[in-house]
Amino acid sequence: MSDHAIKNPHIEAHAVAHEEHPGPGVYLLVAAILTVLTAAEITVFYVPGLQPVLVPILLVLAAVKFAFVAGFYMHLYYDSKVFTIFFGFPLLLALLIVLGLLLLFAHLQGVLSFTIP
Amino acid sequence: MAAQPKTLEYEYPNYLQDPRGIWSWLTTIDHKRIAILYGVSALFFMMVGGLEAMLIRAQLMVPNNHLIGAAIYNELFTMHGTTMIFLVVMPLELGFFANFMIPLHIGARDVAFPRLNALSYWVFIAGAIFLHLGLVRSLAGMPDAGWFGYANLTERMYSPGINIDTWVLGLLILGVSTLLSGLNFFVTIVNMRAPGMTFMRMPMFMWAMLVTTILILLAFPALTVGLVFLFADRFLDTHFYRVSAGATPILWQHLFWIFGHPEVYIMALPAFGIISEVITPFSRKPLFGYPMMAYSLVLIAFLSYGVWGHHMFATGMGPIADSTFAITTMLIAIPTGIKIFSWIATVWGGRLRFTTAMLFTLGFIVEFTAGGLSGVMHASPPVDLQQTDSYIVVAHFHYVLFGGMMMGILAGFYYWWPKITGRMLNETIGKWQFWITLWAFNGTFFPMHFLGVLGMPRRIYTYAPNMGWDFWNYFESINAFILGFAFLLFFINLVWSTLHGEHSSADPWDGRTLEWSIPSPPPAFNFVTIPMVTARDAFWVRKYGSVGAHGVAPAISGGAAAAPVGAPAEVHEHIHMPAPSIYPLIFGLGLFMAALGCMIWIRLILIGGALILMSILGMVFEYPTFGQFNPEALAESTLGLDNRKLGMWAFLGSECVFFASLISTYMVYKDRNLGGFDAMILNIPLTSFSTFILLTSSLLMVLALAAVQRDDRKWGAIWLFGTAFFGMIFLGGQAYEFTDFVLQGLKIQTNLFGQTFYTLVGFHGIHVLIGVCWLLVLAFTTAAGKIGKDRSLAVEIGGLYWHFVDIVWVVIFTLIYLMRTVKHA
Repeated sequence: MSDHAIKNPHIEAHAVAHEEHPGPGVYLLVAAILTVLTAAEITVFYVPGLQPVLVPILLVLAAVKFAFVAGFYMHLYYDSKVFTIFFGFPLLLALLIVLGLLLLFAHLQGVLSFTIP
Repeated sequence: MAAQPKTLEYEYPNYLQDPRGIWSWLTTIDHKRIAILYGVSALFFMMVGGLEAMLIRAQLMVPNNHLIGAAIYNELFTMHGTTMIFLVVMPLELGFFANFMIPLHIGARDVAFPRLNALSYWVFIAGAIFLHLGLVRSLAGMPDAGWFGYANLTERMYSPGINIDTWVLGLLILGVSTLLSGLNFFVTIVNMRAPGMTFMRMPMFMWAMLVTTILILLAFPALTVGLVFLFADRFLDTHFYRVSAGATPILWQHLFWIFGHPEVYIMALPAFGIISEVITPFSRKPLFGYPMMAYSLVLIAFLSYGVWGHHMFATGMGPIADSTFAITTMLIAIPTGIKIFSWIATVWGGRLRFTTAMLFTLGFIVEFTAGGLSGVMHASPPVDLQQTDSYIVVAHFHYVLFGGMMMGILAGFYYWWPKITGRMLNETIGKWQFWITLWAFNGTFFPMHFLGVLGMPRRIYTYAPNMGWDFWNYFESINAFILGFAFLLFFINLVWSTLHGEHSSADPWDGRTLEWSIPSPPPAFNFVTIPMVTARDAFWVRKYGSVGAHGVAPAISGGAAAAPVGAPAEVHEHIHMPAPSIYPLIFGLGLFMAALGCMIWIRLILIGGALILMSILGMVFEYPTFGQFNPEALAESTLGLDNRKLGMWAFLGSECVFFASLISTYMVYKDRNLGGFDAMILNIPLTSFSTFILLTSSLLMVLALAAVQRDDRKWGAIWLFGTAFFGMIFLGGQAYEFTDFVLQGLKIQTNLFGQTFYTLVGFHGIHVLIGVCWLLVLAFTTAAGKIGKDRSLAVEIGGLYWHFVDIVWVVIFTLIYLMRTVKHA
């Protein structure tokens, strides 16, 4: 915008460093891992013996997939940590909202009962 | 008034002088002019909302009054609340003060996204007009279900007219405007601060606005989701809030107040910031406890997300939930108390100047504290149960909103008007206004505490005589009219002073922050040279030349030595400001027409949609540096990061809350389904295939980015086309799935499962569709050779959006599809 930019060499070096994204090799490796994880999810879904632990396994697998896409494809692992904060805080808040509503409605439906001793 | 500092008289016209003509205002993207547009609009709506308030008080003045009748009374209190919150307080604080002051406070030439800023304004106007469509009486009158719009009063069954439709659509449009403003200001404050302006050197108003924008980004999506459900109930015959269908209107209350309580702080924090700025020059002291003031803002914001339930104690959430919300609500009093004590400590021992701005600031502290104390009282569930829906609540929130926010806004007007217009507001009229306001405000709202204790409920249009309410209602109404007179003085002062008022110097108050270092009114480009900040209270330090402990300027009384900002006039020739644009206005018009089409003529939706599309493409391609790597701008930025990328991440953060609200609804309604179709209908093999397709598309997207970054345009285009193609396959799978379900008999109206499933997965599908369109634009542009290494950012930002759509699907696939058999989700 301005022709009178106050140059900051530290910032420029910093900015260039953020441009260093991984190459196709890493992307292909991540794709392979995501494929395996998705296959594992589907497998877990169809194996009757795993039904009792279906929820924790699926949640962990989904979280790992989420982290791989966000970390490598969206470059959070490589980019400025500012982006991680920008995304991480709302994500945490979103999780708390989901958890809060689930607990409140579970109580409303009598699924979860709270008593004060 | 302090001795006038020597000011630099620029040789260039100020932002009001050049360019001239109505067209220049319609197409302006200058943050200062947009602020003026917001200010004028909000002041107009202040008159509308004020008249509504006085009609309400006229109706309640005596018992058994039938001056306006019950129906119009309902419309008046609904529109008074909606108008004052969405069309007066927020536009004045965000659109007017923040818009004008953020770049000036941080030493920038404009906001991060000037066109988006203009677009926010025109969308705001579209929403504001839409809310008032009911003034055309043939459209069934104004909204009449309260500003909170509680379900199921707002359902078509109980509110069959289109007045609630205008409320739903109007608020959705206003939400878009607010979100865009929030995103814009957030990026501006984070990444466009002048060199040396660290977070701990920012003016407190900037801290307040930074936290406010975070609240906006993370609170409004919940309201959007609640309104979308209400829209679906009214237009698509779904049952999101209908008990007979297994749903519950309590869901609306949760979604509304998840937004609604942070909204209180969206209105309060800017006022906190304004008075923090006003109080220092008129106390001749630096702000007391700056770090704690800043941390308190952050703590208030964080806690504000955990207190929404205190609006719902009467719904029977249970003792644990009640206790939790009571504790978090009471905790908020701690950071708020820190702020109040810090303001008092700032005043304490200062050389006070009782200007009108200072009087309103002191008024703020007293009245807001009174409102806050009654708020702590409501935080106790057993006490609240006695007070809910009584006039004591009306007293409380008016002490907070008027005694707090409006006093802060008025202080801001008297403080910054000289900078904005170049003219001083008349102090004599101002002081009359203040004392009349102080008397009449307390006369109007303090007796409401008594009426509440005496059992007078809210929202009743009249009452029987001899209930013990007659005198205080009469007293309140008389004072309300006096309050109206005080505002009449204010408007007279604004108009008269702007035309005939005393000319203002650059620094009439001996100010401490950077806006006082430039002429009044400022030139279009704000600063000739971007200032270098060496301490908190940057301008004060430059004037008096010293930095005290912890970088705080010492308190020195007396006049300013000199205004140091200056530069040769020829510098102006090299400052390039973004060109004006008509597309933001066209976008607002398109959105208005599309919303109108939902209500009266469906073809208008297509026309409106076409205008929106045209304006988006226009804005993208008229911008000469679309997606271009700009090392100079990057070097100027505070964090060394690109504004556009920061903006996209902030947007994605906001989207997290949007999808969280949708997912929560699906999960809490999963077990409330009254039979018929349920999650067992979901086709796992098909969706597994779709999931692989979407994940693969993400791979192609990063390959496209890698290709473009190495300037391989051919493969960049190929991978982008491939990504779009895979996205289309995913959409095809979703279309097949939806069609199959509909053919089996599962429609969106069928049951709770149908409506929550179609809404959640459908919204994801809409995101994919937008992504595919975006990818195709990128692909064709790359194929045409327009996007290479220098514009790889365009692909990177598009890619961020696409990957976000992907990770949302990762969550949906797990929670909705693979956990279809899980009960009590």
